[in-house]
Amino acid sequence: MTETLTRTERKATSVPQRRDSRRSNLLSILLWLCALYFVLPLVWLLIASTKDNSDLFSTFGFWFGRGFSLWDNLVSVFTVRDGQFARWGLNTIIYAGVSAIGASLLATMAGYAFAKYKFPGATAMFSVILGAIMIPLTALALPTYLIFNSIHLTNTMWAIIVPSLVSPFGVYLMRVYAADSVPDSLLEAARMDGAGELRIFWQVGIRLLSPGIVTVFLFSLVATWNNYFLPLIMLNSSDLYPLTVGLAQEQSASAAGGGAQALFSTVITGSFISVVPLVIAFLFLQRYWQSGLATGSVKG
Amino acid sequence: MLKATKRATALAASVVVTALTLAGCSSSDNGGSPVPSSSKAGQAEIDKAMNTPTTLTFWTWVSDIDDEVKLFEQKYPQIKVNVENVGQGPDQYQKLRTALKSGNGAPDLAQIEYQHIPSFTITKSLLNLTPYGAGDLKSNYPEWIWNQVSQDGSVYAVPQDSGPMGHLYRSDIMKKAGITSPPKTWDEYAADAKIVKEKTGSYIGDIASNEPVGMVGLLWQAGAQPFGFDGNKTVTIDVNSAEAKKVYSYWQNLIQQDLVSTDPDFNDQWYQGFSNDKYAGWVTAAWGPLFLQGTVKDTAGKWAAAPLPQWNAGDNVSGNWGGSTNAVLSTTKNPIAAYELAKFINTDPASTKLLNTQQNLFPAMNSVLNEASFTDATSDFFGGQKINELFAQISPTVNTKFQWLPFMDYAYSEFNNTVGNAMTNKGDLSAAADQWQDKLVGYAKQQGFTAQQ
Amino acid sequence: MTVSAGPVPRRSAGATAARRQNRAAYALVLPFIIVFAAMLIVPLAYSAYLSFFRTQLVGGEQFAWLANYLRAFTDPSFLGGLGRMAIFLVIQVPIMLGLALFFALALDSGRIRGSKALRLLFFVPYAVPGVVATLMWGYIYGPDYGPIAQVVRAMGLAAPNLLSSHSILGSMMNIVTWEYVGYNMIIMYAALRAIPQERYEAAEIDGAGQFRIAWSIKIPAIRSAIMLTVIFSIIGTFQLFNEPSLLHTAAPNSVGDDFTPNFYAYNVAFVNQDVNYAGALAFLLGIVIAVISYFVQTAQNRRQGEKR
Repeated sequence: MTETLTRTERKATSVPQRRDSRRSNLLSILLWLCALYFVLPLVWLLIASTKDNSDLFSTFGFWFGRGFSLWDNLVSVFTVRDGQFARWGLNTIIYAGVSAIGASLLATMAGYAFAKYKFPGATAMFSVILGAIMIPLTALALPTYLIFNSIHLTNTMWAIIVPSLVSPFGVYLMRVYAADSVPDSLLEAARMDGAGELRIFWQVGIRLLSPGIVTVFLFSLVATWNNYFLPLIMLNSSDLYPLTVGLAQEQSASAAGGGAQALFSTVITGSFISVVPLVIAFLFLQRYWQSGLATGSVKG
Repeated sequence: MLKATKRATALAASVVVTALTLAGCSSSDNGGSPVPSSSKAGQAEIDKAMNTPTTLTFWTWVSDIDDEVKLFEQKYPQIKVNVENVGQGPDQYQKLRTALKSGNGAPDLAQIEYQHIPSFTITKSLLNLTPYGAGDLKSNYPEWIWNQVSQDGSVYAVPQDSGPMGHLYRSDIMKKAGITSPPKTWDEYAADAKIVKEKTGSYIGDIASNEPVGMVGLLWQAGAQPFGFDGNKTVTIDVNSAEAKKVYSYWQNLIQQDLVSTDPDFNDQWYQGFSNDKYAGWVTAAWGPLFLQGTVKDTAGKWAAAPLPQWNAGDNVSGNWGGSTNAVLSTTKNPIAAYELAKFINTDPASTKLLNTQQNLFPAMNSVLNEASFTDATSDFFGGQKINELFAQISPTVNTKFQWLPFMDYAYSEFNNTVGNAMTNKGDLSAAADQWQDKLVGYAKQQGFTAQQ
Repeated sequence: MTVSAGPVPRRSAGATAARRQNRAAYALVLPFIIVFAAMLIVPLAYSAYLSFFRTQLVGGEQFAWLANYLRAFTDPSFLGGLGRMAIFLVIQVPIMLGLALFFALALDSGRIRGSKALRLLFFVPYAVPGVVATLMWGYIYGPDYGPIAQVVRAMGLAAPNLLSSHSILGSMMNIVTWEYVGYNMIIMYAALRAIPQERYEAAEIDGAGQFRIAWSIKIPAIRSAIMLTVIFSIIGTFQLFNEPSLLHTAAPNSVGDDFTPNFYAYNVAFVNQDVNYAGALAFLLGIVIAVISYFVQTAQNRRQGEKR
């Protein structure tokens, strides 16, 4: 077991030193220029969130405006409509957190089973799961809504969490990952010791699968965090909105409502805040998701 | 593309015919929503309902309407109201329809614009309010408004606000162009447009290409009757009539000469157009003045308002753009309390005053329209002009017989695809209107209506 | 994306062991399958069922056989959306994946200064919600006050209208590229990292240049990862929804409600309230995606076969 662990670890950490250090200035400059493309819009967002409405529309986009209103905007973000933004943020954390934990658990169990057991119907089930990636989910929205509504689940948190528990890609990834990182010999040894199958999974499997689990967790987290469509149709009470729907609605209210409702700079600042947590999550969990993805794509 | 549409329509139509024959008279309950009794709800019933602990759900996008709702809750402490904002206009209607379709989750009452009332009465989703005493409200409103919420003796909503149309303009830009009085006719408007553009570089106005409601308001003024609905199975569709084409070709001419812009409205860029003098005016509705006031503060004092230019000199007619109602959904379990809430918000003097002063809504009720404190108010934003008085005078000049289709969402989205597109591309609006007509007739037939053209 | 079957449990374990293992396997798979069936299969079946009916505002619901499907074949909105997505597929996907591959190879070559930081910068847009990305780009594109227009005007040129109906498809491609280059790059990069170094050390000693190594060793080695990104991009393209729906608000005349097939199906279902037709559209769209994915995959497999 220790052997497998180090094998996975090495993939993630030891690689940077393995290449020679002949740096290419030209290529470096080129890539850093390209990086501007990815970063500048976010820089714009950061700068825009320091402007008030009139500076937003009248000053140069990539430099600060006449006034520095970041603080005012932040205050406005958290006080507009009785501070609903904080509520939306909390909702988003709940939706994304619970869904991601649930989805990675379900996907890990299923992926492990598909990889480590040969059981009747496995191939058929797995093909159906893979095929499901092709289904345009938005098109299922209305039937899902109708079904949920008939069991009184719309406009509840469950309406967002339950559908987000399904991650066919997660199952696929975990299957590949489990096949690669859980050696059969280890399972056999555990069986010899008289451990039950489920206990083997919980005590041996889960530990070996952890980088993969983190990967699925992160991707489910992002998927739910960024989901706009599902909450848009499922929720009516703004108390239940996640950030995406709340911000989009605030934006359209400021466009249509005029007057006191012109919250453009508030929406922009709110957008900026909504991006930060995910970026941090990816930063800190980098090591895990990269190694998780490595196996998934190689064996795919 | 047209050919393909026609084929699809023909196919759909043939299926419809078969279906109608098959369906026969199975759907015979066309009589409207069930009415508890033919007589009005008695005061005793009302008192009982209003003193029973009840929770009402109210969908509206009017911001901070909670203040008016609080007044209601103070008067009726047993009734609790959940105000939910599920989106602006069409977004809310979508949710409402899906909720209605699935049979639960719909609110007790909802904000509905005049133009969308038939879209909900066709599905029998609105409660006829006559048995609850709504008939008594008739005398409170201008005739055209009452016609919008009632049909054949049934009342489906309580009017909240209205949008008789007028012309707002920047007196400073006009003056710079040497124009001292606002255009009285559309001919004058076109002539002024040319002068304004030449002398100042501004457009005399923006006729937004994504704004079917505004365009329909102009058709309304011109006496066109593009839509009609008998409340049952017959719709009238005539969006390419001679009167309508007069309006289209008028604007087409201005658009093609680049004398008016066609920027989409109510987005951030359009707001900018007002503060950077891109537009010298706005053909809009009575809610426009307060709206501008909050949006482009830096142009305060430079604005003036006038009635809409007329097609024939000496006429005095207007159209309507916008305005909405509170309607009670037929699925409600608390019809009396829901109706009382709709009535209270929109007729109680304290509440209607708030609606006007805080929510920027232009009143629908005669009593508010004619109240001295309302009409005498001067607006600094409009250089001291009595804006309310002007629009209060315009309100009775709105054509009274204007109807809608029971599927305005579709009609508007097709407007954008046809006429709106032609406006953006400076194309032939009348030809686009013919396309719009075809689409609407096709859709009506496909939905099982008899379409009169 | 074909996956080899799992290892067979040792036969010597005996029939009871096999049964025990089957039970365990089902117990592990079941929770996912239940939620999967409830959230995907049931709505799908329901949608299929609905797609054979027709609901009219007047006249109610009747069985309509395949009328909804036939209607889609002559529906200019649906076909137009498909066509637009085909253009998207042919232009945007290769650009996006080409960039992703280039970045991945460059970062993997070990010749870049600050490659760790770069990797993150490229990837950051993926963590930005589509709603926020579209909102932000909507501002940046703004023809009057957007920074692009400001820069172009400062250079004395006429500012392009990036939200006009002629350029909106390109503008949308840019947003999607911005969002997903990093994501695809990470998949490819992770695959590159997993290639055993010995495979090309020899080539390096032989004096093969980086481009040659990339072309003849690295790219073939991560073929399956690239394939994965291709398939995901095909699916993603045909399912575009957030971008058109939000740009529809910013540029209503440029982005029609039938701009992408998925957005159209949504509008048919929710605006036109035609669940039946929307169901048919969804199925056809699913079939189109499946067929294209299948062809891309077989074409790729055949090429791979020829090379061997």
